[in-house]
Amino acid sequence: MKKYRILAAAVALAFATSCTTDFLTVENPKAKPIEDYFNTETTVFESLVAAYAPLHWPDWFGGYYNPVNIASDVMADQIWPGGGTATDFGDLKYLARYDADGRYTLPGLWSAAYSGVKRSNDVLLYIDWAREAGNISAESAKLFEAEARALRVFYYNWLWKFWGNIPYYEKNLEDPFVCEQIKADEVYDHIITDLEGVIALNVLPMVRPESEAGRVSQAMAYMLYAEITMYQNDASRLPTALNYMKAIIEDVHYDLLPDYAEVFKESGEWKSETIYDINYMSEGGRRDWSWVTGEGGTILPRLIGPRGWEDGYAGYLSGWGLGPVRTSTVEMFDDADARKAATCFDVASLAEAGGKTYENTAYQHTGYYLQKYAPLDANRQGCIADWQMNFNNNLRVYRYSETLLNAAELVLRNYGSGDAAAWLNAVHGRSLPGTTVEATLENVKKERALEFVGEGKRYWDLVRWELTADPDGIQASKVLTGHDEMNFRQITWSSSKKYIPIPDAEISAAAGTAYPLTQNNY
Amino acid sequence: MKKLLTLILFVGLVLPAAAQSLLLKGVVRDSAGEPLIGAFVVEQGTQNGTMTGVEGDFALSTRRGAAIEISCIGYTTQVITNNGEQNLVVVLADDSQMLEETVVIGYGVQKKSVVTASIAKVDAEALEKSAQLRVDSALKGLAAGVNVTSSSGQPGAASRIRIRGTGTVNDSNPLYIVDGMPIGIDGIDYLNPNDIESIEVLKDAASGAVYGARAANGVILVTTKKGSKGKASISYNYSFGLSSPWRLREVLNASEYALLTNEGLINAGEAPIYSDPFAYGEGTDWQREVFNFNAPQHQHEVSVSGASDRFNYYMSLGYVDQDGIVGGNYGRSNYNRLTLRSNTSYTVWDSSEDRSFLNKFTLGSNVSYSNIKASSIEANGQFNTVVTSALAMSPILSVYATEEQAAAQKAAYGDLVTYGANGQMFMIPGASFNDMINPVAMMNLPGDKNWTHKFVANFSGELQIWDNLKFRSSVGFDMGFWGSDGYNYLYYLSPAVKNDEHTSVWSSVNRNLSWQVENVLTYDKTLGDHSFSVLFGQSASAYNGQNLGGSRWHVSDLNKPSIDYASGLQKEGEMSVYGGPFDPARLASYFFRASYNYAERYMAQFTVRRDGSSRFGSNNKWATFPSFSLGWNLHREPYLQDVKPEWLSNAKLRFSWGKNGNEAIGNFRYTTLTDSGENNSIFGNPEQTVIGNKASALSNQSLRWETSTQTDFGLDLGFFNNSLTFTVDWYRKITDGMLMEMNIPSYVGENKPIGNVGIMSNSGVEFELGYKYSVNDFNLRVNGNATYLRNKLIEYGNETGWAEYGSFQGAGSFLRAENGKPFTYFYGYKTDGIFQNMAEVNAYTAVVLDEEGNPMTQLIQPDAVPGDVRFVDVNGDGSITAEDRTDIGNGTPDWTWGINIGMDWKGFDFSMMWQGTLGNDIFDATRRIDVRGTNQPAYILNRWTGEGTSNKYPRFIIGDKTTNWNASDLYVCDGSYARLKNIQLGYTLPAKLTEKFLVSSLRVYVAAENLITLTSYRGFDPEISSGNGYSLGVDYGVYPQARTFTFGVNVKFGRPRNVK
Repeated sequence: MKKYRILAAAVALAFATSCTTDFLTVENPKAKPIEDYFNTETTVFESLVAAYAPLHWPDWFGGYYNPVNIASDVMADQIWPGGGTATDFGDLKYLARYDADGRYTLPGLWSAAYSGVKRSNDVLLYIDWAREAGNISAESAKLFEAEARALRVFYYNWLWKFWGNIPYYEKNLEDPFVCEQIKADEVYDHIITDLEGVIALNVLPMVRPESEAGRVSQAMAYMLYAEITMYQNDASRLPTALNYMKAIIEDVHYDLLPDYAEVFKESGEWKSETIYDINYMSEGGRRDWSWVTGEGGTILPRLIGPRGWEDGYAGYLSGWGLGPVRTSTVEMFDDADARKAATCFDVASLAEAGGKTYENTAYQHTGYYLQKYAPLDANRQGCIADWQMNFNNNLRVYRYSETLLNAAELVLRNYGSGDAAAWLNAVHGRSLPGTTVEATLENVKKERALEFVGEGKRYWDLVRWELTADPDGIQASKVLTGHDEMNFRQITWSSSKKYIPIPDAEISAAAGTAYPLTQNNY
Repeated sequence: MKKLLTLILFVGLVLPAAAQSLLLKGVVRDSAGEPLIGAFVVEQGTQNGTMTGVEGDFALSTRRGAAIEISCIGYTTQVITNNGEQNLVVVLADDSQMLEETVVIGYGVQKKSVVTASIAKVDAEALEKSAQLRVDSALKGLAAGVNVTSSSGQPGAASRIRIRGTGTVNDSNPLYIVDGMPIGIDGIDYLNPNDIESIEVLKDAASGAVYGARAANGVILVTTKKGSKGKASISYNYSFGLSSPWRLREVLNASEYALLTNEGLINAGEAPIYSDPFAYGEGTDWQREVFNFNAPQHQHEVSVSGASDRFNYYMSLGYVDQDGIVGGNYGRSNYNRLTLRSNTSYTVWDSSEDRSFLNKFTLGSNVSYSNIKASSIEANGQFNTVVTSALAMSPILSVYATEEQAAAQKAAYGDLVTYGANGQMFMIPGASFNDMINPVAMMNLPGDKNWTHKFVANFSGELQIWDNLKFRSSVGFDMGFWGSDGYNYLYYLSPAVKNDEHTSVWSSVNRNLSWQVENVLTYDKTLGDHSFSVLFGQSASAYNGQNLGGSRWHVSDLNKPSIDYASGLQKEGEMSVYGGPFDPARLASYFFRASYNYAERYMAQFTVRRDGSSRFGSNNKWATFPSFSLGWNLHREPYLQDVKPEWLSNAKLRFSWGKNGNEAIGNFRYTTLTDSGENNSIFGNPEQTVIGNKASALSNQSLRWETSTQTDFGLDLGFFNNSLTFTVDWYRKITDGMLMEMNIPSYVGENKPIGNVGIMSNSGVEFELGYKYSVNDFNLRVNGNATYLRNKLIEYGNETGWAEYGSFQGAGSFLRAENGKPFTYFYGYKTDGIFQNMAEVNAYTAVVLDEEGNPMTQLIQPDAVPGDVRFVDVNGDGSITAEDRTDIGNGTPDWTWGINIGMDWKGFDFSMMWQGTLGNDIFDATRRIDVRGTNQPAYILNRWTGEGTSNKYPRFIIGDKTTNWNASDLYVCDGSYARLKNIQLGYTLPAKLTEKFLVSSLRVYVAAENLITLTSYRGFDPEISSGNGYSLGVDYGVYPQARTFTFGVNVKFGRPRNVK
């Protein structure tokens, strides 16, 4: 009988083996559940690093070329959209004509910015988890919180400036994954309050050591504060903005570089003039067509490079002809202005100098491209993936010269005291040595027009200055009006153009939920 | 062990006859008087016995009066007494019980007469005739409701199998169970079709329910061969075949090309470039340069099988070597497979005569190994594949550069130019060919070499516990090792196909292991007219695996490419490695089946399976899949016996309903895990990568199985003693909760979660017809099947209700999934001929309302000129916009059919198999209008060149910027076809001749595959599937199926076979 008992036991065992839930619970061998992972100082920092990552996406993300500086500047008066054909870079063309609709409105930038928001929110959640687990020091927790919140403001700033009335959330969404769309002014209230909180934490260093270049600093937060409050024309906060500018000016780490052209070279990165750059690198660059979010370089130089250029000639590579510099912009500069050559890349002359003929094949070709981010062969060396996406040019976000011009403007607009003339002329005199200009608001505006071509400042300046007439003779008569010299833009800017249309796909995805999206009245 | 060996050696040869006093001699015949060869003649209770010879004759000595048992498979056993008779004639009656066909139903077999579910059976004979490399291809045309579409003619290429339609937008592949062991679809070619005894396709929910969570797309049960008692056979088969394309596409020759190019340039407002088009003559026929005519294939097959009372064995060795018709001669499209199999079972004890409990114990093992070496080229792509480039290359250009070209190429590309085996430099076509390349030069590149080793083993024990209560336990393993090796030298073939920076070499290895443990209790009982069968079982399985791969730049010696023999440095980013474990998956299940029949007249069956899967969260791990089916054998009703006509021999009604699941949806999608993929940032000056990590996605913890619910009505009829049979089934299958990415706004800032959101419906009717006819020595068998299928995507699950599934360069997107339409369908403009003159353009108007609401007449195509396509204003808004695109066809056939005809007369046998489809369309995306220099299909000669010249094809323009070639019905062709898939003529030499050489049977045959194809389609092949089966009927320039002529020989050694 023993045999049968063994057999019965075997049968019972066989039937019982799989009924435990243990058997059906398998672990992913290459990943951990987030709750088990993001609860230490080290891993929270990793999540913070991931929150920085979307900063480098917009130049090519989700199938769209939406570099923030070019997407901003095509709506102003200094560059054309250009490209290969009349329909190339379609969404930028529609924006440039003030003729956008929901099909053509920077969906790449929209998604990248919200990815940044979501990741920043996650960092704040994970800090709580790590605190509960007792695995993070109070200092680190505070520092990471400041960084994550500053980043969140930075991302919302993109969304707020372009789209204005947007869904806003500070805790990540759960089923059914929708939230309320709020008015632009309410968005402003949220983000400026959030930023004030960051500054009040007072844990960010005024300047980062070289090894941490690219992480948020207090000076970066100040510049962000000035940008947002000045764009909102928030009189109650502009005096504070001025004080922040003065704090940067007083800081010994920050100063102008003597040579304007140097600012945009690889060698000029993270020198005294740099307050904030988005980092890109070519050495070991892994960004690729199949891995656009991989870390590495930028595609911006390739986008704005001269079409039809012989690759490698005079150290330059060819490009896709985006953002040709308008002839009127070239003419705006005094010939002696160091900024002229550093801004306007005269391709035909360079070709002729070497006995080559440059045959333009781009749309809206003017003969000039943007020198600041021109595709230099030297700037894409050492990349592992496709060289087109791996230029090492950092994207200049905030420079010390902007600090000076912000400060001068705020003084001249009577938001506080300061030596506006010295600040203005520090910028002016660097590029036109020995000359000075009078400290007037108009001269500050003119200086900004000369200083920041192609840096994504001009359009927002024009909007906040509400420039519809020609107060200063620097082509502002054509600013934001239709019927420009190429007869390209036929629609005149009006206040309804301030907020571009929300991508259609978002409107349709939110339709029928508790929070449908209302399209901007563009 | 020694005993086993003895058995192997002697069974089927001569059972040792002990010297006894009385000799009995006689013959054994069947009821028709034919001699029975190979019947057993054994003295009861001893080993003393013999087998009958070719004339059915035997002689056996025993003691007088001994009981002698005469048995033969398929016949009732007889016992006689040895009385010394010298001319005894024993007539064995047909055992109708035994002869009745059985069907494998999953964890058991069932008599066909009481089957209530919808199951298609394909037997070894049909598979042998189709002579395919892969089990999926072999099923083509053999079973109703099973749609098999070859993806291409590449040797070893998988076919797309859909059982009762495309069940889901996700994985719609059926579940393969080989001898009880589930085998992943990617590895199913380890199976040698010659080893298969039968294939059962479980089509309805009731039959599939015993496989619950994996059965939503149907189940294919494969049973491999066993030895037959009373037979010991050693057989050897060899075949040799030659393959060639069955047709070439008609394209322009060099003169026509030059003429058309000139015309197209003039139409584009440019100057013509060929001053004397006729000087070019015929030019290069690129298809002839590319195709490998008479590509050889060899097949060897050895098997040994047999059985005694206690031991049963089947062992085989198979070898296939096949060259592809595109690139096979360059080592780029080749398939080579070795398979070994050993199926054995051993009865450890059988005391069923002595006691009623624990009276029989059987062990079994099925072990197989396969080794595959293969290479392949892209089979259906729109960008620079070998086939598309062959169609696109100018016939004016030649494969090898002329002296002048060679000098220019050498100057421009230096060492990047490549040479053919003859030492001549390959021609590099110019920029006007875009990404298209010299296809011969492309074939000359080294391709990746893929290899696979696979072991599948299944061991089982079956114990008869008491009465008919049986317990069976099995454990199975499926172990795979596969990888690929490749390298790249420096070359330049086109701006898009080049490698001009560094040489490199790469290699990868993968391994996986699945195991399965099953325990099943069965109990069968017949009490008078009541028959029960109950089954209760448990199953647990797990999967895991791992990969490792790497690459390195700067190969030291291109003749010996290996990672170790290359010099790239890791710190320079010139050496990379990747690898890690695969996602593990586990499945635990319980299943129960109860069958009942009353006098084989009323049948009912209930099946339920409960599955737990690791792929779902704790709240949804388990799901239950119930089903039931009913049957009614009308012809067995006593009260109908007098009424029913003589010729009606069988009439059965069937009904079934049930639910099945689909868990093939990927792993860990219910949870949020860390994702260290795309989250690094760059900090510092100088810049440094800093590693980031984040949550992988938003999670949907309520994720559950896709469930399909299916209802089936069936009717089986048999006439004239079942020589004519007819079956019809109607079904409707609804798949609910199809998994799709949830349609939520992107402002969530994260990869969107997956949700159970879609619904798909399939319904159809299936017919099967069989006919058998015998007169004298002539036998005829005809089997036909036809399937009507209607597939409809009811709910895609996203906001718009549609999604793009494919596009064609220059024509735009044309393949869609959309609510209410077949999944997928062709989408584009409807055309209505060509504008013959300006008057027609001006007459093509619509009345619309102007801004003030007043009616006004406007031109529908204001930009059109004579020779342009007239598009239909589908939405009637008075202009042609993207909104006018509509349903212009789809690749899913309405009807799929197959006909098998077999006949034999004396030693000759003949068979043929036709199969085909009706009502499917093909989107002919082989003409790239964006490639300026491309050669043109011959139909372009029928273009519009002036009033009245054509009302179908528009004027020809190089670099056409008009809307004439936007995606429209101009691209859509009828894809219906009828194909003589196989035809075979064989002759078996008379046994008397061959027996002298111990050869019991020698058959030679000639066969042809794809000999005749009737289709109106102009392309290489009407049968196309790609893109995971989504892009059915999309022809980007498909690698066509070959026409193959085969010569073969089948030899059987040893004692003669049982003739029956």
